[in-house]
Amino acid sequence: MSLPFIREAMTQLFSKPSTEAYPAEPKDAFPNYRGRISFDADKCIDCGMCERVCAGGAITKKVEETPEGKRITRMFSLDSCTFCACCADFCSRHAITLTSDYHMVARKSKDLLTAGTYVKKAPAKPAAAKVITPVRDNLKPAVGNGIVAQDGGQ
Amino acid sequence: MIKKLIDESMAKSPWVFHINAGSCNGCDIELVAVLTPRYDAERLGFKLAGTPRHADIVVVSGPVTAQSKDRVLRTIAQVPDPKVIVTLGSCPCSGNVFKGSYSVVGPLDKYVPVDVSIAGCAPKPEAIIDGLALAAQIIKEKREKQ
Repeated sequence: MSLPFIREAMTQLFSKPSTEAYPAEPKDAFPNYRGRISFDADKCIDCGMCERVCAGGAITKKVEETPEGKRITRMFSLDSCTFCACCADFCSRHAITLTSDYHMVARKSKDLLTAGTYVKKAPAKPAAAKVITPVRDNLKPAVGNGIVAQDGGQ
Repeated sequence: MIKKLIDESMAKSPWVFHINAGSCNGCDIELVAVLTPRYDAERLGFKLAGTPRHADIVVVSGPVTAQSKDRVLRTIAQVPDPKVIVTLGSCPCSGNVFKGSYSVVGPLDKYVPVDVSIAGCAPKPEAIIDGLALAAQIIKEKREKQ
């Protein structure tokens, strides 16, 4: 009498179940997982590139005028985000990163909002109207320097 | 006493009914992954019900399209109270990349009160388990109020 798959049956009987014990044991996302957005407001320069490339229209901004400058709040509503990471890729200052946090469950859509506020200051106004110097005089040494540098390079 | 027994038993086995309201199938696949052996939500009591009349939790995926709107609302109306409506993925709670389309009349919370929204595109199965656990907690609270 032959018992087919007896070895397989015995190994399966004493091995761990293939079911993940998720709520009992915490589980990390795999590397480079694109989860909840984190936004570093201090790095942002308000170029608006993230808003342009966002397919779902999840990124919005709110501007308030204050005495010290424009108070800008950038909001990422994760309930209309596709987690494509285009905003993070196009951000020249690396202010946007997608973390590996995937626990995005909320009872209100307000809880699914990542936001950052910063103040954009206007450039300091010039004290008095300056006399514009002729441009031609300034150009000459710059051209000369360029030629010298090229010779040096060769 | 029998009512107490029923309530305690029902709290341990919330049945799920899944509606596809024009989803791209990504979230549907993840929900099926939750219910099948790898993640096995059935060990936590969640079971996919065959008819809305047996369900406690309604899981809606997809931006509500013009074609599916009436069917979705009719199906949700068939679910007995107390019920919990869960939106799966970004589409039903905002429209996601489909918002502004002539055939999309969502988001879902224009028509019915949404209790839990699971974000992600598509959400990770673990996040769906989190969302269903929250839904089970809400339905328990709702039953106690009744």
